[in-house]
Amino acid sequence: MASIHLQNIVKRYGAFTGVRHMSLDINDEEFLVLLGPSGCGKTTTMRMIAGLEHPTEGEVIIGTEVMNEVDARDRDVAMVFQGYALYPNMSIYENIRFPLRMRGVPASEHDKLIRRAADMVELGSYLDRKPGALSGGQRQRAALARAVVREPQVFLMDEPLSNLDAKLRASMRVQIKHLQRQLKITTVYVTHDQIEAMTLADRIVIMNQGAIQQVGTPDQIYSDPANTFVAGFIGSPPMNLIEGTAQNGKFTASGITAPCPAHLRGKVTLGIRPEDCRVGGDNVQGLVYGVEPTGDVTYLTVMAGSKQVEVKAARDYRSDIDVAIGIGFDPARLYFFGEDGERIRGAA
Amino acid sequence: MAAIAPAHRTGGVAQAAPNRAPRRRSPALRKAFPYLLVAPALLYLMAITLYPGAFAIYQSLFVVTFKGWDWAGIDNYTRLLGDREFWAALGNTAVIGGISLVLQTVIAMTMAYFSYRDPMIKGWRIVFLMPMLFMPSAVAFIWKLGFNDGRVISDILLGLGIVSKNVDWLGSIWLARLTLIVADVWQWTPFLFIIFVAALQGQDQEIEEAARLDGASWPAIFWNISLPMMRPIIVVAITLRGIDITTMFTNVYIMTQGSPGGATETMSFFIYRQGFRMFNFGYASAASVLMLVMTVVIAQTVVKRAFHSGKK
Repeated sequence: MASIHLQNIVKRYGAFTGVRHMSLDINDEEFLVLLGPSGCGKTTTMRMIAGLEHPTEGEVIIGTEVMNEVDARDRDVAMVFQGYALYPNMSIYENIRFPLRMRGVPASEHDKLIRRAADMVELGSYLDRKPGALSGGQRQRAALARAVVREPQVFLMDEPLSNLDAKLRASMRVQIKHLQRQLKITTVYVTHDQIEAMTLADRIVIMNQGAIQQVGTPDQIYSDPANTFVAGFIGSPPMNLIEGTAQNGKFTASGITAPCPAHLRGKVTLGIRPEDCRVGGDNVQGLVYGVEPTGDVTYLTVMAGSKQVEVKAARDYRSDIDVAIGIGFDPARLYFFGEDGERIRGAA
Repeated sequence: MAAIAPAHRTGGVAQAAPNRAPRRRSPALRKAFPYLLVAPALLYLMAITLYPGAFAIYQSLFVVTFKGWDWAGIDNYTRLLGDREFWAALGNTAVIGGISLVLQTVIAMTMAYFSYRDPMIKGWRIVFLMPMLFMPSAVAFIWKLGFNDGRVISDILLGLGIVSKNVDWLGSIWLARLTLIVADVWQWTPFLFIIFVAALQGQDQEIEEAARLDGASWPAIFWNISLPMMRPIIVVAITLRGIDITTMFTNVYIMTQGSPGGATETMSFFIYRQGFRMFNFGYASAASVLMLVMTVVIAQTVVKRAFHSGKK
C-alpha cells in the first residue's frame, strides 16, 4: 500500500511531447482514474508509473522512494493489460503462480495464495485450463487474479474492460471496484470510457494532449467542469456549448438568449447540460430537428439558427420535425467559458 | 442470353433480378477451371520431383548396367542392409549432421536472445543472411582453402599459439568431421538466427511487459515464456535444417571427398559414389529411396509430436 507522486513529469518522443509537466498526488488506497481521448498521454503516464517507460523529466515517487531508476520488476507494481497478457503456454494456475515464483515466495505458500486469488475473482474451477480455452471475461478475471495474488503496493489497469462486451463490462466493473475496496490497494485505472471513470473512481484525472485538464471527484468533474474540454467530454450526450456574446447581463447567440453575470463582456461560450433544458420556455427559439426515444428518456435536438441544442425530454415526448419549439434553461445550471475555453466563475 | 434468365422464372418478381450478363462457361469447364489454373505449376513440380522419384524407386529394383536393366527385385535393398559402408555413411551423416544442427541451434538461439530487443537488429537482420546467399560450392572452396590447401586456419592457430605445428585436418577422423561441421555452422546459423529473432520480435509485447512487472528477469522471461511459445517455430526450423543437413553433399565433395577412410562420407556422397563413380545405378537408387523414407518418417514424427503437445 502506498501513495504515488508524480512531480513535473515530461515525456518526449523525439519532437513529440506525450506528457507535459504533469504533477499529481495519488493517495494511499485511492482508486484514481485517468480519463481522456486516445493519445492524450494517459497510458504513457501509467506506463511511467509501472516503469515500462521512463520520464524525460520529473520524478515518479511511490511511497517515499524515487522510482525513476528502479527497474519495472523491482517496483512491486501489478498491471492488468487491455489484451490480458496471460502466458498462453501456461495453465491459469501457473499464470497466477508466475509472480509468486519470480518473486521468490516460498513454494509451500503458493497453492493457498493462488486458490484465494482465484476465489476472489470466482475462477476456482478453471485453474487447470489454458488461457486459450477461456472466454474474454474469464481471461480478464485470470489476469486480475494474477495481479492480486502477490498483493502489490500499486495496481495499474490499462483499459482492462475494453475488449469485453457491454454486459460483461458492467459486471466486471462492479467486481473490480469491490476487489479494490476489499484489498485497499492504491489503484490507477486508465480508460477512455467516461461511464467506467464515473462509476469506479474516487477521483478522476481528465487529460488532453498530454496535460491534466481537471482533477476531482466524479461529482466535481460533472457539475463543476473547469473548461470546455471537460464540459464537452463528460456527460452523454455531452453539455451543449454555445458560442455567443455577453452584454449587460445577457447572453445572446442566434435564436438563443440567457441571463449571464453582469460582469461578462464580449465573446463567451455558454454551457448547459441536456438534462437542465426543458421543453417550453423562451431561452431557445428553434425548430425540432430530431426526436430519439430510448425508453427511459427521449433525446430532442433543436435547431436554433445554425446551432443544435440537445435536450433530455420526458420519456413520452414526441414531435414531428421542423415544428417550432421553445426551450427553457435552468438558470442555476448555466456555465460560462471564456474565449480560451477556461471557466468563468461567478453567479449567473 | 440475358433475356433468357427471367423467362424461366415464374411471377413478376424476376424483374427485380440484377441485370448482369450471365456467365457463359459450360458446367464442365467451370469445374475444370481451378485445376487448369494450377496445372502448369503442378506439371512442373511433377516433372522435377515426382517423376525422378518414381524413376528412382523403379530403378532401385534393377541391376543397371550399360548393357541394360536386369530385374533384381529387392536384392539391392537386402545388399544395402548388409553393406558396412552404407551403415558407416548413415552414421557419419547422423554424427556430422547432429552436431552441426545442435551447434547451429544453440548459437542461433543465443545470438537471437541477446540481440532481439536491439532495434538495429530489426533493420539489419537481412545482413545476417549473407552467408546463405553465397554459392554453396564457392563457400566450400573457401573453407577448403582455409583448412586444407591454404592452411590459413592452421596459420592463425599457430600464430595464436594454440597449436605447435601445422594441423593436418584430413589426417584425423574428428578433425576432418570438424571442418565439415564448422563450414555448415558458418553458413547456416544465420538462417536459424533470422527465424528465431523474427519469432522473438513477433511475440506479444504486452506479455513480456506483464512478465517484467510480475518480477521476471530477462533470462526468466526467455526460459519460461518465450522459449515454450516458440516451440512450433523451433521445431519447423530445425526440421527444415535437419532435412537439409541429411542431404549434405557439396562440402563433402569439395572439401574432404569422404576421407580419411570414409569418416566423412555422408549418405549423399555414398549415393553419389555408388551411382557416378561405380555406376551401380540401381544400388544408388535403392540407397536414396531408403534415405528418403527415413527422412520423411523422422521429420513427420518430430513435427507431429511437437504440434500435438503444443496444442494441449
